[in-house]
Amino acid sequence: MTDFSFLPTFPLPVNSFVLFGVLLLTGLLGGHLAGRTRLLPRITGYIAVGLLLGPGGLNLLSPELLDDARLFVDISLGLILFELGRRLDLGWLRRDRWFLSAAVAESAVSFGLIWFALTHFGIEPLQAAMAAAIGIATSPAVVLLVAHDLKADGPVTRRALSLVALNNIIALLLFTALLPVLHFNLRASWPTILLHPLYRLAGSLVLGYLAYLVTARMARLVGKQEGGQFILLVGMIVVAVGCAKLFNLSVMLTLLGFGVMAKNLDRKRDIMAVEFGYAGQLFFVVLFVVTGASLELYRLGAAPWAVLAFVAARFIGKSATLMIFGRPSGLSHRQAAMLGIALVPMAEVAIGMARTVTDIYPEFGANLAVIVVSSVAVLDLIGPVAAQLAFKWAGEASPERVAKKEGLS
Amino acid sequence: MTLAFKSSEKFSIGVELELQLVNTHDYNLTTDAADLLRRVKGRLPAGELKPEVTQSMVEINSSVHHRHGDLVGELVSVRDMLAKEARRMNVAIAGGGAHPFQKWNERRIYPAERFLNVSEQYGYLTKQFTVFGQHIHIGCANGDDALYLCHALAGFMPQFIALSASSPFYQGVDTAFDCSRLNVVSAFPLSGTVPFVHTWADFEAYVARMMEFGIVKSMKDFYWDIRPKPEYGTIEIRVCDTPLTVEKAADLAAYAQALASWLLTERPAKLSPDIYLVYSYNRFQACRYGLQGNVFDPLGRGHQTIAESILQTVGNIERHGEEMGAGEAIDRIARAAAGGQNDARWLRDTLAEVGSLSNTVRLQSELWMG
Repeated sequence: MTDFSFLPTFPLPVNSFVLFGVLLLTGLLGGHLAGRTRLLPRITGYIAVGLLLGPGGLNLLSPELLDDARLFVDISLGLILFELGRRLDLGWLRRDRWFLSAAVAESAVSFGLIWFALTHFGIEPLQAAMAAAIGIATSPAVVLLVAHDLKADGPVTRRALSLVALNNIIALLLFTALLPVLHFNLRASWPTILLHPLYRLAGSLVLGYLAYLVTARMARLVGKQEGGQFILLVGMIVVAVGCAKLFNLSVMLTLLGFGVMAKNLDRKRDIMAVEFGYAGQLFFVVLFVVTGASLELYRLGAAPWAVLAFVAARFIGKSATLMIFGRPSGLSHRQAAMLGIALVPMAEVAIGMARTVTDIYPEFGANLAVIVVSSVAVLDLIGPVAAQLAFKWAGEASPERVAKKEGLS
Repeated sequence: MTLAFKSSEKFSIGVELELQLVNTHDYNLTTDAADLLRRVKGRLPAGELKPEVTQSMVEINSSVHHRHGDLVGELVSVRDMLAKEARRMNVAIAGGGAHPFQKWNERRIYPAERFLNVSEQYGYLTKQFTVFGQHIHIGCANGDDALYLCHALAGFMPQFIALSASSPFYQGVDTAFDCSRLNVVSAFPLSGTVPFVHTWADFEAYVARMMEFGIVKSMKDFYWDIRPKPEYGTIEIRVCDTPLTVEKAADLAAYAQALASWLLTERPAKLSPDIYLVYSYNRFQACRYGLQGNVFDPLGRGHQTIAESILQTVGNIERHGEEMGAGEAIDRIARAAAGGQNDARWLRDTLAEVGSLSNTVRLQSELWMG
């Protein structure tokens, strides 16, 4: 033993503690700076910090470190997807059938337009279809957190959150339905072609249902204690995320399903509507910093026009459909327009779906990833701003929050 | 400005009900008043729907009626229509004098000039004023009758408070009051009771003086528990919490109607300023203890519980009630008094059963929406 063996050895390996803390602190600074502007929401600040520190910037957050941060990201996404699922009231879909039609139509039309635009740019039809399916989904994290930050409340906010839940489910189903075609095209064996999608769909839903059953049982045991129920929900969400990964299922569908069931099956309301509050914020900051670091803006150069077409087709598809379906559903033109703008954000989940393909068929996935990842990069930068403006212009943001933001600039 | 009392048909009735708009996620108040108003514009089967001071409130105004049956029929049809529209919006509507757990500082003032002025004038009191009352109008032939009725009814206000009380929870706690809402009203400088004057001319002189002092701009600035409403030709009872159902609201209106008829027709008691000596004490007893509250009757010179005084009143006004078609409504009032049942009790029992205020509001809204 040497005299100085108690000293650390260099270079210092960054451990998870330092990583988590640094992500939080830098995110906080970025969020603070963005919060001081009139236009940018705090989320944009978190993303910008990630972009600056990530591989595309100073490279302080290397791809290996980002993989280490995956744990926090998955927990954040779990919390968000569960919360989003809880906002989807199936009874409402029965009471206002125009709303359900609007959700299906906006998904179908944006899928169709994106597909058309991409094939027009020479993208192979199956790839275009998978990209279009991914494009249906709006970012749950951005919409939920922008709404939360602005304390937005009202008809547009309520519909936006439900539409996001619905279009994520539709995107997921469609994407999973396209997997067999992909398998077939790439000459996989028949069991893979048929069983893979079925396993993912059914397995995720069963896991979500099990999570709901255990939660409902334990909620009865814990009683109506907000503190206890908070721990219960976070615990169960983390377990569900973990199990979905263990069994190679869809984390998204499992957690969304868990949330939807907690809202709609729990007739006696044993499970309370708990706010994730400050504890949730910790994870959400990390989520967006990591999202920012994962953005690959440089890829935009590979197919700029196709990406632009993707973004435009997606926006037109969603907005135009919502304008048409808004009226019979009792929305004013303004509300319908704001709803279209609120659905602009597209993010992290899309990358997850593209990655699913990349994992199985690297070569095919790589082509898809260029378009999806670049579109996500663009929409991650515009999306939060758009959602913020939509809630503000709809008159649903808290006047105090808006005044504070505008007073500061 | 003239304060001419517009004569209206004796003992006609009408009600205003302030209602809570809540979300169906955690059943907190939501800010959908403007949207609901826009959606039902021109489609209401009768009466009117109006905004109130914050965006979580709307107010139903009924038309003028003579009989309980017509009033309840109209209220039910308006209720059904609003409930249907609310369900399409995925919000819920509830009765009750106060929302059990909303935070007053999160409320948003309704963007209309009148409310913005009130907000400017009263600061945080305005947002705290997100409480929900029932106002009952009773038609009077002239101003003198209206003033007589205001004073004569003052002694009966504890009955109305106790019968309608539905605000036991406020800002997330059990206040120990059956009606916590009136404590919020009392904070306003021009709350209280009508001055003890007997002729419309004297009343006009009083208002003119207050205007001359620069204290009020119009009658609207007086937040009295009972006030004459000269432009409608009515007196307006303002102490009731909004009941949990429209049926109960109609029963209370019928009870007030029969009581007014008895008081004005038979003039059973001579008016005395002593009514106002004990008024605050009696009002507190009603708010705090509901039907079990103990009140002092300055004319009868004795203490009794509010439930006892209701049963005694029912005996006196029964005949008037029968003539006006309000017999059954008054029976229900008597049974509620005898059984110690008011909406505050229902809310407390429900909380004990379901364990959370959020769940209580859910059931409260299901009860109102029918």
